[in-house]
Amino acid sequence: MGGTAPSDEAHAQLAFLEVPVGAPGSGGVRYAAAMYFYQQGLMTAEMLEVYRQCSKFDDEDPVDLARFEGVANSVLNSDTAVGQGA
Amino acid sequence: MDQKVRNVEIPAQWDRRGLPGWCYHSDALLELEKEKLFKTHWQIACHVSDLPEVGSFQSFDLCEERALIVRDKEGDIRAFHNICRHRGSRLVAKEQGVCPNALICPFHGWVYNLDGTLRGAARPETFPALDKHEFGLRPIEMEIWQGFVFVRFQPGPQPSVAELMAPFEAEIAVYKSDTHVPTDGIWTEETPVNWKSIRDVDNEGYHVAMAHPALQDLYGYTYEDQPYVDGISRSDGQFTPTKGRRWAVRNYKKISKPQDHLPEGFHKTWRYYGIFPNSVIAVTPETVLFYQEFPLSTGKSMLRSATYRNAQEDRQQRAARYLASRIDRETVEEDIQLTIWSNESMASKSFEGFYLSDLEYGVRSHHDHLRKVLPVYNVEDPPQEDQVATLNETLQSRLSS
Repeated sequence: MGGTAPSDEAHAQLAFLEVPVGAPGSGGVRYAAAMYFYQQGLMTAEMLEVYRQCSKFDDEDPVDLARFEGVANSVLNSDTAVGQGA
Repeated sequence: MDQKVRNVEIPAQWDRRGLPGWCYHSDALLELEKEKLFKTHWQIACHVSDLPEVGSFQSFDLCEERALIVRDKEGDIRAFHNICRHRGSRLVAKEQGVCPNALICPFHGWVYNLDGTLRGAARPETFPALDKHEFGLRPIEMEIWQGFVFVRFQPGPQPSVAELMAPFEAEIAVYKSDTHVPTDGIWTEETPVNWKSIRDVDNEGYHVAMAHPALQDLYGYTYEDQPYVDGISRSDGQFTPTKGRRWAVRNYKKISKPQDHLPEGFHKTWRYYGIFPNSVIAVTPETVLFYQEFPLSTGKSMLRSATYRNAQEDRQQRAARYLASRIDRETVEEDIQLTIWSNESMASKSFEGFYLSDLEYGVRSHHDHLRKVLPVYNVEDPPQEDQVATLNETLQSRLSS
């Protein structure tokens, strides 16, 4: 991913994944980060799809929606995601 | 400055006619113009300052093609077709914006990195493995010159922008336009004329004394046009020593304050560089700007322009820029009317065509450039619409043999 070290990229993408719900443009930013973690094998296709559903709705919290729809939130915790996101 | 290498003399004898009237309302010719002129010649998409941060983008539509200019994670500017590789949707639907992480297609949600590579398809489990380069955004030829971002949709006859503009590079470089910043964004307006009627008006200053009282008040008799030579024209107006009779001009002349880095000879000059076929870069003591026109149909065109200023502009320069914009706005409105009159003449069977003054040689030189690309412009009587492309090919092959 460009000239950034993988761990730096994982940190950056985790920050994007955790952009506060409601921030303008945040739905797309979170979905793009989710796609990164999916490609790294750190997120399931089902959870990625939840992020896609929320991508145009900045106020929609994907974690809440996943819980509501019974999708297991496979997003790893911050330490795991950054540690494995290489 | 560098014009010694350009022969800008008006010939003693020259054909004072313009293009035949049919050229202004032929759909078949317009298709050729789109393919052979607009897509194959450099177009100004924006300025580097329109893309201030990582993920900033600018979209730019031209003749059914769509460009997307984006600043990537490394800070480099890249140009792509604004087309998702999945179903061809616009990747960005807005003219400007910021996508700080990645570009996401609004149709199905394919995600692209800012360097154009594919990050992933939506519902990835429904596709075989997709190579991020093979399914990445398709790049468009791009060149940044003096801060202006040029794109070219298809290879064409022009050299690089730097080579094309070389005769004037030193003259324009003093403005340091690559360090300028936007003023009020990119302005667009549809206008009900053929694009060539806009260029026909803009390519001559013969009408200034009659039609543009503010410009006449500003630079009047000093105004000079140099014709298109190797794809570039140059026009120049120096402020006349009078105080100015009109409010905006009088006050502009009084408070105009050149940027600190401009040499003395550039302090009281407005200058315009025409870039064949449809663009102009202009410079004033306070600003640099571009304007251009594109065909939407034979009888409808899009005007597009943007002005950029010195980032360290002070209050006086800001006030001067405001006054200059008033002069400019007035001039544009006057020109729009002239283009309508010029364009409607081309539909009249009673009008026998232009008979141009020496002061309008710039119009002829532009038409000659057009004829070189599309020799069918030389055909005086309107051909059958379904014959225009074939006729052009025949004429082209005769010229080549």
